[in-house]
Amino acid sequence: MILSEKRQRACARLLADVHSITAKEGITPSALHLIKLKLVALARKADLFPLTDFAMPVAQGRNHPLLVEDGDGHALYLTISMPGKEAAPHDHGIWCVNAAISGREVHQIFRRTDNGSEPGRASVVQVGEVMVEPGNGMAMADHDIHGTRVIGTEPAVSLALYGYALTRFPSVAWYHPEFGSTRAGVSRRHAVSA
Amino acid sequence: MARSPKIHRVTIANTGQVIDCAADRTILQAAVAAGIDYPYTCASGNCGACISHLQVGKVAMLPRNDAALGAQQAKAGLTLACRAQPRGDVTVKWLGGGPA
Repeated sequence: MILSEKRQRACARLLADVHSITAKEGITPSALHLIKLKLVALARKADLFPLTDFAMPVAQGRNHPLLVEDGDGHALYLTISMPGKEAAPHDHGIWCVNAAISGREVHQIFRRTDNGSEPGRASVVQVGEVMVEPGNGMAMADHDIHGTRVIGTEPAVSLALYGYALTRFPSVAWYHPEFGSTRAGVSRRHAVSA
Repeated sequence: MARSPKIHRVTIANTGQVIDCAADRTILQAAVAAGIDYPYTCASGNCGACISHLQVGKVAMLPRNDAALGAQQAKAGLTLACRAQPRGDVTVKWLGGGPA
């Protein structure tokens, strides 16, 4: 069997396991933890994901779809982020799980501290930090807030599993502590077929 | 003692305002600090909401996602205000979603 077929089968097995977990208990903290352990186990099989099979970013960050389910299903990506690549604190509006293949990316976890009464304004405070590096991962529920930054001199290569495909994402809420602001991205939920 | 970063003049073509921007700050940071309603969403090089035409001058770019600004767009003189740090006096014009 050629490597790309082995990879596809491994990804399909992961998604089958994910559906088995969520069918039993839904998207709960314990389910997300179990999914994270499955994803970390897959990411440990680095030989399934050689960088020669995935184009490097033209700039500093790129997502490669590995398995995108039909309709409103889940989607698994291989992401490559170069040193210094970052994302401000944001809430995807949908759960996600990450696991590192190589490199290091710090995920800072935030909590919103205002009551949302002033449109466009928000305050957040950091409440935790997870280093996503080989052998480790992180899981976030629908409205958890995280910011990311690649640490060190190596690209961060990781697996990212989302409740919806990136092309079907709800509006992502971004938070900017420096500005005291929040901004909502465009929802892609209109792409969902009935 | 560390030297202070150079200060450059940034002209926002949409409003005609001219603001100061240190070489270690982004155009978006300087614009928001000056009270300009510059369009942005992620402010970290991932979404492209602050895409702008760099009409005059040069900038250095902080890391960004491929999807936020393509190579052809960059070649055509487009930039991201949230990633662009001036390397001289510059003029920029935001392209989408803004108030003016």
